[in-house]
Amino acid sequence: MSMAAIIVAVLSFVLAALLALMMIPVLVWLERRGAGLMQDRLWPNRTNVGGFRLGGVVQSFADVVKLVMKEEYYPSHIKMGKWLYMLAPAITFAAALLAFMVIPFADNIVIDGESLRVQALPVEYGIFWYMAIGAIGVVGIVFGGWLSHNKYSLLGASRAGSQMLGYELPLGLTVVAMLITYNTIDFNAMVQWQSATVFGIFPAWGIVVQPLAAVIFIIAMFAETNRAPFSVAEGESEIVAGFMTEYTAMKFAMYFMGEYVAMNTASAVIITMFFGGYQLPWVSTGYLLENFAIFAAVMMPLLPIGVFYFIRWMRKNNRVRASVSSDGGRLFETKVFTIVLTIMTLIIEMLLIYLILLPSDALGTAIAVTIFQIAVFVVKLMLFNLFFILVRWTLPRFRYDQVQHLGWYYLLPLSLINIFVTALIVVGVS
Amino acid sequence: MEKKIKIVPRYGVSLKDKLYLPAIYEGLKITFKHLIDNVSDSNAIDVLEYPEEQPTDITERYRGLHRLTHREDDSVACVACFMCATACPSNCIFIEATERTDNVDEKMPKRFAIDTLECIFCGYCVEACPCDAIRMDTGIFSLTGKNREDFVMEKEQLLAHKGAFGEENSIARK
Repeated sequence: MSMAAIIVAVLSFVLAALLALMMIPVLVWLERRGAGLMQDRLWPNRTNVGGFRLGGVVQSFADVVKLVMKEEYYPSHIKMGKWLYMLAPAITFAAALLAFMVIPFADNIVIDGESLRVQALPVEYGIFWYMAIGAIGVVGIVFGGWLSHNKYSLLGASRAGSQMLGYELPLGLTVVAMLITYNTIDFNAMVQWQSATVFGIFPAWGIVVQPLAAVIFIIAMFAETNRAPFSVAEGESEIVAGFMTEYTAMKFAMYFMGEYVAMNTASAVIITMFFGGYQLPWVSTGYLLENFAIFAAVMMPLLPIGVFYFIRWMRKNNRVRASVSSDGGRLFETKVFTIVLTIMTLIIEMLLIYLILLPSDALGTAIAVTIFQIAVFVVKLMLFNLFFILVRWTLPRFRYDQVQHLGWYYLLPLSLINIFVTALIVVGVS
Repeated sequence: MEKKIKIVPRYGVSLKDKLYLPAIYEGLKITFKHLIDNVSDSNAIDVLEYPEEQPTDITERYRGLHRLTHREDDSVACVACFMCATACPSNCIFIEATERTDNVDEKMPKRFAIDTLECIFCGYCVEACPCDAIRMDTGIFSLTGKNREDFVMEKEQLLAHKGAFGEENSIARK
């Protein structure tokens, strides 16, 4: 292995870990704040460190501190399988985290003629890894619910288990249809396939090529991650908190964080399979590499405009109302952020000028393209996470039998039909 | 007699309803519009910045913290009849009666305490009182303390609470 290969491998691993773990506080914040804004109210917005609220993200860290400091209550009625009871949340968390590791964040970067994967686990069977590891998460839920010796927990666990069975089938069958379409099990090759166009106009994204599969896959993903409207396993209005009823402090937080990591992973997989992964529509990596100077030239005016509008929005919104006497350091925060953002914009502008002057086959261009693709991926990931949150605060929860009905009677036959149609078309075209 | 029948349209039979996705789209549109509106101007959201802003819409019927009313000579209106303590579903009113020697009445409470941690603020004590001696019209909705004893309101504290809606003295005992 060359030095470059090691550096790329380490950096992609760090990036994956950061994207999965640092996304937890951001997602918790986004969920609470998004919920507030969608329901015309504010959000936890007072917590700050020296006046810096970061729009409320600090609250998530305060929550973590609270959960760590909390009494580690251990229910005395649990006699058997204590170690498994303690391990169960970790299984769920680890499964969600590991499943994220096969997502490609950018196309293979070519350094000195060596093609390197920008993927934490550089494997070629990405989708199988995801299906195998992602499904283990429910084992942690079943263990936790069963060993809690609590009827609500047991109900929650059995709901989670049977829901997983009901939706893993349509999920797997849509994946089969997508495998027939893409003719690969490698996530990165799937994204490369999606860089092309269909009929010369539309980007060949999975959702354009296979709209039915995309809908079924997204619905099944919502069920897999136990998110609303399929959150029957928690079902706080019916069964207290489902499988987490007996869990406290950090054990509970493990389940809670696992849920958000799973949601993040689900978003990443949906993007990679159906929304062109790290690619912009109509732009393949080769095209981007050749014409990066043009992209940089386009980005140069767009970036300051975007930053200008962001600062204007921040100045308008990051202030207290007239009725509140103390400013709480918001003016100072706005000032600091304005300065920092301006400096960052200037640095990026300089880098862009440097990149425009570089020849298109230089290493700098390849790195810039990779960073650009990572940025596109992160933006898409955040948008899809926002979609998950939007759905949660829009739809009421399905009744449990309706969940099963939808899975077994509609999604399963539809995904089977989809396979046949896909196979016929693929055979007919080739 | 003419039968009054209202025929309610049955939803959920058309293909559009059964698909469910158009309805989800409509719902998402509404929440997304609220999100965008509120993100673009979060100070326009109609909320109360509690505790800087205090609620102004507490009505006379609001059951706040209790108080003991006074007679016109500022003495306690309560005659320690134990009606409130009997009516109390959470048994949180503790009364010790004593003889009243100032010829205004025969009996008065020596101790009148309400454990507000036990109290469920149902207002039965107010309804049970024959002398209009206990009221819940203080408009006080938040009570804080450092230990449990702080939440047991004694007679002096209850007498010190002011009514928020003008009626200061007991109407039944002048």
